Amino acid sequence: MKYSNPQIPEGINTSDSHPLKEFVLLAGGALLLLVVLAWGFGEAGARLARFLPFESEAGLVPEGVLQSDAGPELQRYIDELATRVSAELALPPGMQVNVHVSGGDTFNAFATLGGNVLLFRGLLEALPNENALAMLMAHEIAHVVHRDPIVGIGRGAAIQIVAGLVFGDPDLAVLGQAGIYTQLHFNRDMERDADAAALRAVNGLYGHVSGAADLFKVIQSERREQGGGEPPAIFSSHPLDQQRLQAITDTVREHGWRADGPITALPAAYAEWLRDAARRHDKPAD
Amino acid sequence: MVDLIVFLVLLSLGYLVGRHAEKKHYRSIIERETRLNALPAMAMRSPPMKEYYSQALVTGNVVISVDYFKRFLAALRNLFGGRVTSYESLLDRARREALLRMKAQAEALGAKMVFNVKYETASISKGRRQTIGSVEVLAYGTALIDTRRQ
Repeated sequence: MKYSNPQIPEGINTSDSHPLKEFVLLAGGALLLLVVLAWGFGEAGARLARFLPFESEAGLVPEGVLQSDAGPELQRYIDELATRVSAELALPPGMQVNVHVSGGDTFNAFATLGGNVLLFRGLLEALPNENALAMLMAHEIAHVVHRDPIVGIGRGAAIQIVAGLVFGDPDLAVLGQAGIYTQLHFNRDMERDADAAALRAVNGLYGHVSGAADLFKVIQSERREQGGGEPPAIFSSHPLDQQRLQAITDTVREHGWRADGPITALPAAYAEWLRDAARRHDKPAD
Repeated sequence: MVDLIVFLVLLSLGYLVGRHAEKKHYRSIIERETRLNALPAMAMRSPPMKEYYSQALVTGNVVISVDYFKRFLAALRNLFGGRVTSYESLLDRARREALLRMKAQAEALGAKMVFNVKYETASISKGRRQTIGSVEVLAYGTALIDTRRQ
């Protein structure tokens, strides 16, 4: 009897697939799975957040995040305008809006939890008339009415939980971080809806929407001044200002609103009030 | 960000170095297998020859470590199921290398063949997380050495 060990042909006990091909396929699949999971959880989080009663939102805002630098005259003026805008936006019962003014020169304004709206002096100084200010306020208050801040936080928290579970570092204390209250990002649909609601409010307030577009022109020129130009639409959750202007024109035409009318000027002491707010910001009262 | 860079460096290092090492190892395995084909290793349990031979236990042992790329690929594979091809070649190399070392030992003893060949496989760092695993393969058998003419 003859015994022998023939040379075994290669590729029987091993697979002849290229490891890189397998890597691309598997990693791509895993990434896709992760994106779908995060999106699904985010949507679920956003939906669930809507069920949170408005009253309990206020408890989620940590102390000291929101403080107003406005003097009594400016605060009275802002509050009065906010009341008129809120009436036009038909706030649901139990919902209350607090508008704060920061003396900082940041060119920004945002709405956050508990019906809190923060306007920065940097942006307020650039506004040419009361109509633009009303548009800005109406836009931010519309976010509050639509419950966008809590929906944004619900979505963000759900996505963070997924990321934490997948990457093995679940940081479930997401609601404790002050940063998320000032860096809320709303998606484009939210911005578009807020714009539409704000336009309706401004039209109801003044009988025309002239000056509302001034707000976006101010934002646009500020961006151009900073030299960055407009960020590509995909990188920004805000629809491009040009697109927003177009949407405003479309909405105005659709509803047959008057596009021009008498502009309401800002109070004579407005600029002085803002300088006062800046001083309070730099040197906080005891 | 730093974590990501470290991860990508480890991954590409694992891929490039691991693949080079594997190709080199396979070339060496095939070359030695061709040479040692003259010394058959059989799985049968009793000696195939009636003649008198002296017998000796011969063993071949090898430990091969899995590289970072293979491990990552296998972890991804765990998610979806299917053949863990990145480990297939690893174990194939380990088994063949162990058998070759056993044969080399038998050859050094002047054996005509090795019978009752068996394999043992062990995973080093078994159950410990966050470590690169290694696999040990031991091949052993009984070498038949013709001592009559010596």
